[in-house]
Amino acid sequence: MMESSAILLTFALWAYVAGMAGALVLQRAERLANVIGFGLAALGGVCGVIFSVSSLAAGRAMTIAPVTLWSGPIPAVRLVVEADALSCFFVLIVSLVGLAISVFSLGYARTYYGRKNVGVLAGVFNALLLVTTLVFIAGNLWMFLIAWELMALLAYAMVSFEHEDRETRQAGVLYFIMSHLDAACILLGFLMLTQAAGDFSFASLRGIGAKLSPQQRDAAFMLFVIGFGIKAGAVPLHIWLPVAHPVAPSNISALMSGVLIKTGIYGLARVCFEFLGPPPMWWGATLLTAGTVSAVLGVLYALMEHDLKRLLAYHSIENIGIILMGLGAALMFLHTGHAVLASLALIAGLYHTINHAVFKALLFLGAGAVLHATHTRNMEEMGGLAKRMRWTSLFFLVGAVAISALPPLNGFVSEWLTYQSLLQGFGTTTSLVRLMFPLGGAMLALTGALAAACFVKAFGITFLAQPRSEHARNAHEASLPMLVGQGILTAACIILGLFPTAFLKLLDPLTQQLTGHQLSQQLTVANGLVLSGATAQGGTVSTLGITLMFVCLLPVPLALWAVFARRTRTRIAPTWDCGQRGLTPQMEYTATGFSKPLRMIFKALFRPRREVQREYDFSPYFATTLRFESHMEEVFQSRIYRPVNLWLLRLSRRLRALQAGSLQAYLIYVFITLVALLLFAS
Amino acid sequence: MNLDPLNFLGQTLALLLLAPLLSGCIKNWKAKLQNRRGPRPWQVYFDIAKFLRKDMVISEHASWVFSFAPYVVFLTALLAGLMVPMISAPAPLRLFGGVLAVVGLLALGRFFLALGGLDPASTFGGMGSSREMTISAIAEPAMMLAIFTVAITAGSTDLSQIAQSTQSATWKLLNPAHVLAFAALFVVLLAETGRIPVDNPATHLELTMIHEAMLLEYSGRYLAFMEWGASIKQLVLMTLLVNVFFPLGLAGPQASVAALGISLAAYLAKLLALSAVVVVVETTNAKMRLFRVPDLLSTAFVLAALALLSTFLFQ
Amino acid sequence: MHPPTTLEISSQVIPLMATLMLVVQLLLIAQRMLLTSIRLFAIQSLLLAGIAAVVAYYYNAGHVYVVAVLTIVGKVIFLPWLLNRLVHRIQIHQDTEPLLNAPTSMLICAALTLLGYSVTRPFTSLEKLGNNTLAIALALLLTGFFLMINRRKALTQVLALLTVENGVMLAAVALTTYGMPLVVELGIFFDVMVAVMVLGILVYRIRENFDSMDTGKLDQLKG
Repeated sequence: MMESSAILLTFALWAYVAGMAGALVLQRAERLANVIGFGLAALGGVCGVIFSVSSLAAGRAMTIAPVTLWSGPIPAVRLVVEADALSCFFVLIVSLVGLAISVFSLGYARTYYGRKNVGVLAGVFNALLLVTTLVFIAGNLWMFLIAWELMALLAYAMVSFEHEDRETRQAGVLYFIMSHLDAACILLGFLMLTQAAGDFSFASLRGIGAKLSPQQRDAAFMLFVIGFGIKAGAVPLHIWLPVAHPVAPSNISALMSGVLIKTGIYGLARVCFEFLGPPPMWWGATLLTAGTVSAVLGVLYALMEHDLKRLLAYHSIENIGIILMGLGAALMFLHTGHAVLASLALIAGLYHTINHAVFKALLFLGAGAVLHATHTRNMEEMGGLAKRMRWTSLFFLVGAVAISALPPLNGFVSEWLTYQSLLQGFGTTTSLVRLMFPLGGAMLALTGALAAACFVKAFGITFLAQPRSEHARNAHEASLPMLVGQGILTAACIILGLFPTAFLKLLDPLTQQLTGHQLSQQLTVANGLVLSGATAQGGTVSTLGITLMFVCLLPVPLALWAVFARRTRTRIAPTWDCGQRGLTPQMEYTATGFSKPLRMIFKALFRPRREVQREYDFSPYFATTLRFESHMEEVFQSRIYRPVNLWLLRLSRRLRALQAGSLQAYLIYVFITLVALLLFAS
Repeated sequence: MNLDPLNFLGQTLALLLLAPLLSGCIKNWKAKLQNRRGPRPWQVYFDIAKFLRKDMVISEHASWVFSFAPYVVFLTALLAGLMVPMISAPAPLRLFGGVLAVVGLLALGRFFLALGGLDPASTFGGMGSSREMTISAIAEPAMMLAIFTVAITAGSTDLSQIAQSTQSATWKLLNPAHVLAFAALFVVLLAETGRIPVDNPATHLELTMIHEAMLLEYSGRYLAFMEWGASIKQLVLMTLLVNVFFPLGLAGPQASVAALGISLAAYLAKLLALSAVVVVVETTNAKMRLFRVPDLLSTAFVLAALALLSTFLFQ
Repeated sequence: MHPPTTLEISSQVIPLMATLMLVVQLLLIAQRMLLTSIRLFAIQSLLLAGIAAVVAYYYNAGHVYVVAVLTIVGKVIFLPWLLNRLVHRIQIHQDTEPLLNAPTSMLICAALTLLGYSVTRPFTSLEKLGNNTLAIALALLLTGFFLMINRRKALTQVLALLTVENGVMLAAVALTTYGMPLVVELGIFFDVMVAVMVLGILVYRIRENFDSMDTGKLDQLKG
């Protein structure tokens, strides 16, 4: 018996399947493969968005009850899907972002005509959307893990799409290894839970934490944090993110940063709030600390990058940190019994999830358009694109303002909610742990300000001033599908920013399911115009009001213009050049120069090293060539991962001694094992 | 929703008219303290009028962002000012935002100011943008921690409520948390408004400029809006400091005309006292090297952290 | 608004002055000019004397006035004068680079303050005056010790020792309503005076022999 919403979801999934099949079959006909593949993906996205929004608006806890898709020979092996409020929320994210990226790809795939296989790109893209949706609607462990592994595999294929490059191949391998690490941790954690439940379905896992011993619960929690943390990209498990995201094609990078890392958040939310039961304080404190550290380190490393896509990848780490701060605070409030505040913190974290998905995808799509126009990822070779790519620069600016958490866009709203939950969290306990909340708030302020600095750099160096290379000078605006795709996400940013109270109603069934409270009523004041902070102690904010007031105050400067400046003229002239004959692009500020003060201030973290080599003929003062190299120490790789790698290699070298090479030795091993088993059994 | 139009108009006019006068006063007193006569305090009005009436020269490399920035800077400062209680405790736009929205709006203005500095492809502008964003980034944690401390004791981020809660007991103004948070916010005020020891607002040497460097390419009415916006931002931050930490005489909601008059007089007196302190600090200190500024701002951060610790340990 | 009672005023003013003592300590840690450091120490001792005076006034404890006067005479006037003279004789006006730079030392001192607060939380009930100045006293002690470790010039280390003693005096004045017995206070006081005078002579000798006040050069302290 299918209801309309289930029909919509099934239609969406079949659209992805059809898109995948069509694109792969029509590989030779590039244009057809492009249109059919991405067109059907867009159609699937539209259906997914309608499905999820209508399900959340209807307010039901469980939209689709557990449905068995396929039963295997053994009764335990089945594939079950179910869609509850949390699933619908994340399906909304994947469908909305997938829709925009599909439309964008209709134009973007044209850059691959004749060079690479567009059919494979479109087909695997559809498959990726399909399996990600399946991860979110999985109803039992089999479905979840199979979809999870497929997602990792397909993403690896996409990261290695341009495998002619050595850097891309290495990135793909690193991504593959980290994905398997996280799958292993998640598998172990889930096995601990299902062993206690005796059944693999999610329905039986709800609240299973109560049946485990505290040590087992803690161990499971740590496994899940490591596993989902690797996927989400939390520090120190993040090293794959800035390596893999830049080398993928830009639409895939947008999908990975926007959606795939959110599967980690989905996993953490599902496990911590539903399966593991009442959390002890240190769980929430760990997530809050990990979130704060990720946020600050992510943005600091982003500031030092001049590869546009790597910069955006590091920002994903920062925003995942902010989301984890919200989730950690929610867990801490659940421990102290403040369910209303827990709902507020959870809402803040999840709102930031969808906000980040939307504006990060927008920024990556913009970066893709810029990459297509200037043939380089390096910001130091761009410039002056605001005049040549008007619409792309406008969309990128909206994304930059949103990610810097500036009013009135969506980043500001979710950070405001996070601040409110941290502020009101101070009064929840009397132990010294409550100091974490204001300190977390101060660190959140630091990341917000650093993110704004980073995006002034990113937008300013890429789009403003003079073009720094021939390609940038000849850049042309992106094609219409690319603009429409970016436009969809820009509209989503603006809507999510200006109408938070309407969106919060959609989150009601979610918080009802996870923390037992529906907060949208408490958070809405003045007929939905104003957002308030849950309790009487919270403040209020209205982004719509701020925008309206902006418009209301606009007559002030216009009146001043009318009164004083009506007869003035405007002349276009060269920039002041101190009397030299014209400024060249080399005299502009560079991206490296822009972030130099911050590099100096945080020297202890970055440990920058510079080398200058000069070659000269007869005197060192008249150098013929000058080589300057400046790099920073990669702290996590050299301090954590490399020592672990070396230790593993040493261990395996010792174990290799077991491989004596002779037949006798192996026979002896088998014999010893047999005897030992017999002794043990008796 | 009670958006009182009289309150709204009154406060807008007050912000527009008082801001340049405050800048002028500070310039005049600084000169007097340095044994010069100094410009008249109301000279700034004439300067703004002069800029408004002049032709504009716009760089050939600049894009639409350059022309958009002055309006953003001006309007965000004005909007932020309308959320801060000046003469009567409920600010006109108190429902639309509290202290977090004020900080966010000022950050938005700073974002576009920095972009406007980068747009004309001038090296000085880029340098100013880079330094301004660096200093504001380091100042944010101190500011947020001090604001958090004040909001925690008051129980809300709504500025009018914070002002009213500190109003209840005068001698409680000597609360150590209060004093330390005020000291931290004073240092942040110096950093945000570009005063010595962080930045010299009267310098003519481009290599020592931070805020002025971003304005180098602006002329005519755009420059007027930028300068006016900067002085409104200074007034907003000073009002925040004065009315949140020393709300003596601040009129409550539905106050009589007499109470409003007393409130206005008290407000002006407090503002002038704070300006005097700023003038003394500016005259007795030298501008710090750029890489010494983080030392100063980390002192402010530690003061704010101490203020936070004092909230729950002296209860 | 009713006029404040004595308990309310003293419970506001004393924590304020104690916190200002801690702030002066932090400024001392960031300060590199020796003459300014001596002045900061004088301000801190003045605040301590102020606290003693307030306690004496509001709790009618006459002998605590003696403590206040002694502090002013000894630590605000005499010791700074002595140290000033020493600095002028030695002709060194600035300290060397500390081990840790200013922002890092500030953050460490914030952490030490937090440690002081968290350690003394169970003891707040012992204080008759009803406020947690014991935490500040402990913080002064810890940060004074940190200052001694962080700096290398002997004079700054003497100043650090004196601030540690300030912290101990603060604890004595604040812990009980009537202060410690006068004999004990006088004993501590003269002990410190003698220590400083001996150290003053020692510093001069070190300077003469090693041509610097850097105690890092005293590395032959073995048997």
